[in-house]
Amino acid sequence: MASITLGRYVPYKSFLHKMDPRAKIFALIILMVAIFLPYETYAVSFLVGGIIFVLTIVLLWIAHMSFLNLLKSLSALWIMMVFLLLIYMIAPRTTDFYAFSIGSWKIYWDSFIEAGRIILRLVLMVMISMILTSTTKPLDLTDAFEWYLFPLKLIGFPSHIIAMIITLALRFIPTILDDVQRIMKAQTSRGVDFEKGSLIAKIKAIISLIIPLFVSAFVRSDELANAMECRGYDPNAKRTKYRKLHFRWWDLFETFIVLLVFGGCLYLSISGFNPFNLLGIATI
Amino acid sequence: MKNVLEVKNLSYTYQGESVEAIHDLSFSIPEGSYVAIVGHNGSGKSTLAKIISGLMLAKNGTITVFGEELNKENLSSIRRRMGLVFQNPDNQFVGASVRDDIAFGLENREVPSGEMDSLINEFASKVSMERYLDSAPENLSGGQKQRVAIAGVLAMKPDLIIYDEATSMLDPIGKKEILDITFGLKKDNPTLSVISITHDIEEASRADYVLVLNKGKLILEGKPSEVFKEKDKLQSIHLDAPFLLSLISSLKEEGVDVPEDVDTLEKLEDFLCQ
Repeated sequence: MASITLGRYVPYKSFLHKMDPRAKIFALIILMVAIFLPYETYAVSFLVGGIIFVLTIVLLWIAHMSFLNLLKSLSALWIMMVFLLLIYMIAPRTTDFYAFSIGSWKIYWDSFIEAGRIILRLVLMVMISMILTSTTKPLDLTDAFEWYLFPLKLIGFPSHIIAMIITLALRFIPTILDDVQRIMKAQTSRGVDFEKGSLIAKIKAIISLIIPLFVSAFVRSDELANAMECRGYDPNAKRTKYRKLHFRWWDLFETFIVLLVFGGCLYLSISGFNPFNLLGIATI
Repeated sequence: MKNVLEVKNLSYTYQGESVEAIHDLSFSIPEGSYVAIVGHNGSGKSTLAKIISGLMLAKNGTITVFGEELNKENLSSIRRRMGLVFQNPDNQFVGASVRDDIAFGLENREVPSGEMDSLINEFASKVSMERYLDSAPENLSGGQKQRVAIAGVLAMKPDLIIYDEATSMLDPIGKKEILDITFGLKKDNPTLSVISITHDIEEASRADYVLVLNKGKLILEGKPSEVFKEKDKLQSIHLDAPFLLSLISSLKEEGVDVPEDVDTLEKLEDFLCQ
């Protein structure tokens, strides 16, 4: 269940919660691109990563999210870090910075730097996405998503239907989870063991859960379709919208700042300009 | 008086079945009345609900709703004037919150966005759910969800509301709330007609008119007090007379002259204590 609470919407009245979801999605995409741009040197990579890291920490603070909780939920990344480190130790080196040796096997610093850079990028990516999902209602995200699909609508793509499907799917997640609990209890009372047993026994137990779950989901969707039809829903008809997205001055301000950061990163990436050289610091 | 619904010689057989789910059914429902259609599982009452609401098309017989014969062309315009409340509270909750669920019908009716909030408040207060406008369905009880479903139906501004076993998954308190709300709505709007398809006899005893179905056929119809007199006929199809009505008829047999206007247990209690 821990993975479900991760990044789940937390109702709170912060500045980030009030922002237009379209502006937030835009910022997410732009910052991710900025993080993953290729930079000339490691130093610039880490500089950009560091700036964005500080920015996300500030955002976390604004959104009343706990950085420690976030780190805890990122614990799976440590395994990945060790794995990456091992890969880069075997991979051919690009620089000559000798670190230490294990027996006759020479380890160079760039394995650590390369692995660190990837981890930093991943952590930033997860952090930014989590800020988005925990400050934005799923429904607002769907609306923003539908808005971004607007160009496709012009060529006849049914973006409003896709948005309705996502809305309904989100609406039914708790209901289906309840079903899972209910069916598991029913099957346990009939002697099915979901926890112990061999792999085959476990697969059998899961099948005894999945089949009734599918039956129930189909019955639900059939009744839902009837109810929607009876309440006058026609996917092809014109509908008005209850929820409207509002793009306000602070959204414009936020978009401007994000674009400024992105512009800077893009300049660093394309020109290969190294700000450390101005300070006379040698970098790799 | 105008008839809101007329059913003539309706028969329906499900594909691949040899037995008719509904056999040569004819009845009419006058405007502004509360009609209960009772019957056991498999009596054809849910099939009837689906045919009246146009979810299934009848092959034989005619359905006339609001004076128009129901067909594919006028289905959507007729549907805008009637609302259905189904059995399962979860499976008819479309929005992510009470507010959004009521808005769903308004959106379909192309109500301008600016007018929606006041309408949502109005319909929510009619079913006393105004305090739960921002609640998610998983945090509401079954009875509350059914009340929201009624509010969602009211958003369609219906002339006819059909309950397809709307109270069968609710506890007694939830049932009573739904009935009280329904009578309240009928008081506000005397031309509103309600058809309640149910196997709850106590609920049927509060209706103006009762139709009893068995195996797709209409076997009894009339006022509750008349229909529930036919104890033998009801027992032959495994239906009981409602407690209050059978108590009154037993009292009458014993020579106690219970007046006609006694229709609740409280009134009977008051009468007997006099």
